[in-house]
Amino acid sequence: MSEIRLTINGAKRTVSVDDDTPLVWVLRDTLALTGTKFGCGMGVCGSCTILENGQAVRSCQIPASEAKGRNFVTIEALSRDASHPCQRAWLEEDVAQCGFCQPGMILTACGLLRDHPDPTDEEIDAALSDSICRCGTYPRMRKAIRRAAATLRTQKK
Amino acid sequence: MITSRRAFLKTAALGGASLVVAFDTRRLLGAGKEAGQFKPNGWVRVNADGTVTLTIGKSEMGQGVRTSLAMILAEELEADWSRIKLVQASPGPEFKRLGTGGSFSLAGSWKTLRQAGAAAREMLITAAAARWKVDRAACSAANGEVVHTASKRSLKYAALVADAAKLPVPADPPLKKASDFRLIGKPTKRIDGRDIVTGAARYGIDIKLPKMLYASIERPPWRGAKPKRSQDAKALAIRGVQLVPCAGGIAVVGETTWATLKGRAALAVEWEDPPKDAFDSEAHFMRLDEASQQKGFSTRKDDAPAGSHAAVRTIYASYFYPFYAHAPVETMNCVADVREDHCIIWAPTQAPNSLQDEVAKFLGTTPEKVEVNVTLIGGGFGRRLAVDYALEAAEISRAVKAPVQVLWTRTDDMRQGHFQAASVHRLSAGLDSADALVAWRHTKAGSLHNLELPDPTALRDAAFFQDLSWGVYDVPYVIPSIETAYVTVDLPVRHGPWRAVFAPSSVFAREAFIDEVAHVRGSDPFAFRLELLKGPDTVKAGSLTIDRRRLRRVLEVVREKSDWSAAVAVRHGRGVACNVYDGATHIAYVVDVAVDDAGKVRVERVVAAVDCGLVVNPTGVEQQIEGGIMWGISSALMGEITFRGGAAQQASYADYGVAQMRDTPAIEVHIVPSEAAQPFGMGEPPVPPIAPAIVNAIFAATGKRIRRLPIRPEDLKAV
Repeated sequence: MSEIRLTINGAKRTVSVDDDTPLVWVLRDTLALTGTKFGCGMGVCGSCTILENGQAVRSCQIPASEAKGRNFVTIEALSRDASHPCQRAWLEEDVAQCGFCQPGMILTACGLLRDHPDPTDEEIDAALSDSICRCGTYPRMRKAIRRAAATLRTQKK
Repeated sequence: MITSRRAFLKTAALGGASLVVAFDTRRLLGAGKEAGQFKPNGWVRVNADGTVTLTIGKSEMGQGVRTSLAMILAEELEADWSRIKLVQASPGPEFKRLGTGGSFSLAGSWKTLRQAGAAAREMLITAAAARWKVDRAACSAANGEVVHTASKRSLKYAALVADAAKLPVPADPPLKKASDFRLIGKPTKRIDGRDIVTGAARYGIDIKLPKMLYASIERPPWRGAKPKRSQDAKALAIRGVQLVPCAGGIAVVGETTWATLKGRAALAVEWEDPPKDAFDSEAHFMRLDEASQQKGFSTRKDDAPAGSHAAVRTIYASYFYPFYAHAPVETMNCVADVREDHCIIWAPTQAPNSLQDEVAKFLGTTPEKVEVNVTLIGGGFGRRLAVDYALEAAEISRAVKAPVQVLWTRTDDMRQGHFQAASVHRLSAGLDSADALVAWRHTKAGSLHNLELPDPTALRDAAFFQDLSWGVYDVPYVIPSIETAYVTVDLPVRHGPWRAVFAPSSVFAREAFIDEVAHVRGSDPFAFRLELLKGPDTVKAGSLTIDRRRLRRVLEVVREKSDWSAAVAVRHGRGVACNVYDGATHIAYVVDVAVDDAGKVRVERVVAAVDCGLVVNPTGVEQQIEGGIMWGISSALMGEITFRGGAAQQASYADYGVAQMRDTPAIEVHIVPSEAAQPFGMGEPPVPPIAPAIVNAIFAATGKRIRRLPIRPEDLKAV
């Protein structure tokens, strides 16, 4: 057990967990941030995706010891009121079915749009590689990503 | 006794839905108990604060029932859609047969929910008319208030709560005319969409109780396997970890999920080697293949009318359909808190009442001592009609005397599933001297994929085998002689309902073989289907009535919208398939594929047309078609479950592939206006026709006929 200090959603947190605890369980079990989902624990589904400096990372692949001092944002803090362009686009395009994978998908999209403000289809495919939606909401996700991209580009102008 | 799946699902609909109900408000979604409310039945409650609380009797697993069922209630209630709250029904005296499956939620709830909403509306109108002392016929309701047009007076429902609550509940209230619908038929966004995109939506896996422990179960890899050795001391050295032998295997229980998973890894159970004759899927396919050539149990026999032409040549083919996993992203899980005299369960389940009954039986108590809270479900697809995860949670909670969450790992979920059973289909087609299709034979060899074994008397019942033969016996085509049959082959691994249950394998075989027959005759497969659908507008098959006119219409729509006859590039092809699901939902697809030189297939475009009866939420219909297409692409082109030494071999999405963004085609959905006065299901029907449309398109692209799923690139390499 170690005391691990890290920043989650803008707040400094200290958690007492085993060094090898994957961040997904620190978030879910210790900090009760259950918007970050567990789907595989081996980095092949993307449900546990969170943001670090705007980049999408898989929290099941980050042991607590390596999370020390780092700064992460989970779906709960992307916006407090579903106002982030990606969340709005997801609602506008009626993306979700069961919804379970969607926090991870939305944050993956945020990471993509940070690096590619106007992504090609290939860039979308690549960013969402090994991101699994068993309900098959991909067609609407693609539309939502394009919609969010357009909004973000307008905001920047 | 469950005699057939259909009988089960149809009685699981709404449990009679008594109109006098008291129910527990301490349920999900935070609907609080408020003073002063009008609650004429279990489905509707009008609150004094102006909100309306609606009860959802179906499990939400992505099919949008929380939205569509609420739309039906709110429509008849004339409620203000922006002021709706929801509660999820729990088993109890008022809800005795909750269950979600068979694409039956809308069809089975339609009448009951309309009546429930209408009864409340009529009572509110009566209350307002009495208050104003006017003729109630001069009053009407809309958007959460009652209006007296003549005097331009109106009263919000909230103001009528106390008066309405004193009135008798009408048994047979008038229902709205379809032309007066304000909500039904309008594209409507998910009522819980905001919770989903903010991470607030709570699924089974998200339930946390004070002092809850976590459990992960090491289960035998093959049925009956015994542990050879395990490192108990190493597991127990992890702080807080305990080992609990249980019916399913060895439960590792810990204070956090991670401690539990580490404990399980440290335990390092080695299981004994399987016997030589342990289950093997390749050997099973050989048994199925052999069985498909037996006579079997007849599921349909249409003798050729006198004077019909005899077949002068017959073509044969066998189609192979593999095992599949459900692989929902939320793995199986359940929270149970077993106390001295009662038990509380939180479960992402499609079968709340059977779960309650089974857990009560297991604990040796009565169902009312088991409170079942139904959570959101992160993908059901039929897997969560079984209740094994709840029995595990109850067993372990009882043993450790604490609330326990059982969580399956991804590999548990992949290897220990209730798989879609494999089947082999033997078909033949007889052509007369003018090449007309005059005889059709289709024998399905498969396994009884109900959750429990049927009453032995059901095994003499044609209806039972017809259920197992959706897509086989309900051939929509006009063929003078049709004989279909079912052969049962024992299957010693767990299997159960999977999205579209019995239909995908059968429709794959039927719709691909029809294509083969068309090509043998040298006809266009589209024109051939339409030709075969001429004749009487309807045909009876078992208890189903197939409406050929509706099927023709959806086919004609996809032919036109897809520009069926337009030219395609080299190694590109276009294929068609259609189906009538459970005699209710009519679907046709045209699929365009490209096959590269390495044999990799890419589905480029799918044009869909559907007639699913009256449409409650067009957005939901489109979503289900898109999702069903992606599901079908997964099973046509990606993962299958194989068994060696009795054990499933796949461990995750890395070796059991499912469709991803890069596999997504352009999808066009056309909802064909229907004459039907009620809605039909949409969760399952989009699945069956996609795989055959893909193999038909591959034939058009390459001249190679695929008769086994999933499609393998090595079979399609360019020479």
